[in-house]
Amino acid sequence: MLLQMACPAASLPGTDNDNKGEQHMITRRSTFKAAAGVAAAAALGLPQHALAADKILKVGNDNSFTGADAQAAVRIANAVHMAFDEANADNAVPGYKWVVENFDDATATAGQYDPAQGAINARKMVSDPSIVAALGPSMSGVGKAMSPILSMGDLAIITMASTNPDITDPKFARQYRPKGKAIYFRTVTTDAYQGPNMANYMIEVLKAKSIYILDDSGAYGVGMADAFEAQAKKKGCNIMGRDRLDPKAADYTAVLTKIKALNPDALYYGGVGQAGTKLAKQAYDIIPKMIKAGGDGMVSADVLQGAGFPAVQGWYATQASPHVAGSSDPKVVAFTKKYFDTYKMYPDDYSITAYDAALAIIASAKKVNAEGKPVTRSAIRDMLEKIEVPSLQGLVSFDANGDIKDHTVSVFQIEKDDKFPLNDPGKQYAYRGVAPQS
Amino acid sequence: MTVYDLALQQLINGVSLGSMYALLALGFTLVYGILELINFSHFNVFMVGSFVAFYVLEGFGVVGQNTIMTGLPLVGVLLAALAVTMLVTGGIGIGIERFLLRPLRSVKGPAAMILTIGVSYVLFNIIVLGAGADSKNFPNPLPPIAFTFGEVVLRMREILIWIISLVLMGGLTYFVGYTKLGKAMRATAQDPEAARMMGIEVDRVIMMAFFLGSALAGAGGMIFGLYYNYTSFMIGFSAGLRAFTAAVLGGIGNVPGAMLGGMLIGLIEAFSGAFIATAWTDVIIFSLLVLVLVFRPNGLLGRMAPDKS
Repeated sequence: MLLQMACPAASLPGTDNDNKGEQHMITRRSTFKAAAGVAAAAALGLPQHALAADKILKVGNDNSFTGADAQAAVRIANAVHMAFDEANADNAVPGYKWVVENFDDATATAGQYDPAQGAINARKMVSDPSIVAALGPSMSGVGKAMSPILSMGDLAIITMASTNPDITDPKFARQYRPKGKAIYFRTVTTDAYQGPNMANYMIEVLKAKSIYILDDSGAYGVGMADAFEAQAKKKGCNIMGRDRLDPKAADYTAVLTKIKALNPDALYYGGVGQAGTKLAKQAYDIIPKMIKAGGDGMVSADVLQGAGFPAVQGWYATQASPHVAGSSDPKVVAFTKKYFDTYKMYPDDYSITAYDAALAIIASAKKVNAEGKPVTRSAIRDMLEKIEVPSLQGLVSFDANGDIKDHTVSVFQIEKDDKFPLNDPGKQYAYRGVAPQS
Repeated sequence: MTVYDLALQQLINGVSLGSMYALLALGFTLVYGILELINFSHFNVFMVGSFVAFYVLEGFGVVGQNTIMTGLPLVGVLLAALAVTMLVTGGIGIGIERFLLRPLRSVKGPAAMILTIGVSYVLFNIIVLGAGADSKNFPNPLPPIAFTFGEVVLRMREILIWIISLVLMGGLTYFVGYTKLGKAMRATAQDPEAARMMGIEVDRVIMMAFFLGSALAGAGGMIFGLYYNYTSFMIGFSAGLRAFTAAVLGGIGNVPGAMLGGMLIGLIEAFSGAFIATAWTDVIIFSLLVLVLVFRPNGLLGRMAPDKS
């Protein structure tokens, strides 16, 4: 399985971390050549693109390619590579060629994402002068570790999936963007909306009057559960308890039996798949009839496959983006078809936000280039703040903190569909509508 | 659900969990009792065991939660899977002892222990590369029979786990206490030098300890899979650490001590999760370990290990 997952990454350009020095040399030399060429061209009055055709723009793509979230990471990476391959084919930024380098922020020891590895990746990206922009990560814990380092290196990153609000909150600017300027952009909204909007949905639409809350002790899970709890309390819902799961532990029957005894209307879980898979499995045995819901951490192939039907049937989950995958918009249909033809799997909503994030970087570089300025890290970062990008989810633009201006949270429910692979998150999650905003 | 129901249900959960820890703790104790070696590869021998059982069951056509078997075929498939799993992990144990640890036996210091940590990571990565890093939906052929007492549920798989653990632990107790090889084992544990002089083949005894310990870990791994209907390459560390704690708590080297320790840890985990908070479980388990070691440094039932000074 890992081999399978590693393959798309390994066959993609720019994954090779060896021969770094050599790459730099080549890059430097070609930069020099290009500069000389530009000078010569200017002197001769020739059109520039004829000579500088192979200047490299590198993009660092950080995600959790090992462990519990690996399949989601591959779905995202596929979309990223697709966007840049298309940009290269269309010559979107004349005179430049895109190269994507994948970085894995998960370690086998952690079995999932590891913020320390994220920090190492951020340092690698910042110290590689050919990297002009970055994409990822999926995990907020990693984002928190990467953001300050990227800020010091002036390297903008766009996340397609990490939703913890602190990273972009101006309150924590000194911590996460010490240089001051927005550095962590998002094509998804944050848990400041995802948690509370789901609380609204569960109380208003699912009529839950009492809820028990669990989290998985990660930055994302705790933040999500906190935001959910605050809003649910505000709406007068009875919070019957709150507990924390150790994602490495195997047994959650103790706390689930306790929840069974308390008998709330619903269980809400903030966290990712590592604990979520075991939780879904054991909850099915102990509290089969209770309403169970999670955030975007519960939308994954690993949950579908590891917990399996019938255990996962009926779980609610959210995505911090409008539901675009599977829409009849011709742009999306064309994207989905091409994605499926290339990678033999269906894209999910975070494949789409990843594609949109890549489009935002390409559009920024294009505009910088069109204004006649060199395409550099800081030029791209500055442009991201101003730009409006037509994308699959509509017109994407960012506020002064880097957050996407649209705050839609979509609700899904796992519903078995035998026509498609049972571990395909693009097909086994039925769309239930937009969660009410408060 | 009343408090009594909750307590009874947690008792069932805790005993199931405890049986698993006990099987795993026995492996630590058997090896430590004879070699005074903490065998960290045991963590992942357990994990490999659950994967062996996973593939054997899938080989019998049991996939995910959709294949239900009853009667004789069920017993046959489970026994076959258990036997294959225990033989394979037992074989891994013998391999580790024969080819990796025996050459190091005369080396003083922590070299052998460090080696077992290395072996643990090798097993771990073999599974990641070979079977994948995703969580596995462990085959469950058991019919969904459950007995209910009020709101307390006792499932088929819990009964099965108790039976398997009881039989294995009973067998081990009999083996160590009443067979010739078992006596040789106890003799070697007391004084390897004297045992050798009495004509006991110490190498064979050590190999037997590794075989038994690893086979029990394999059975534990299969039980884990059946109990949670889940396995992943990650399961070794947290279960292994708790089982090791159980062995130390009961008195390392002491066979009944390992069983007692395992049960205790399982029950503490279940009850603290229900009556305090899951977030505190580890704090409670390890504080208890510290307390026991402060007041009874040799564990609850006393440490049994060769006196090599």
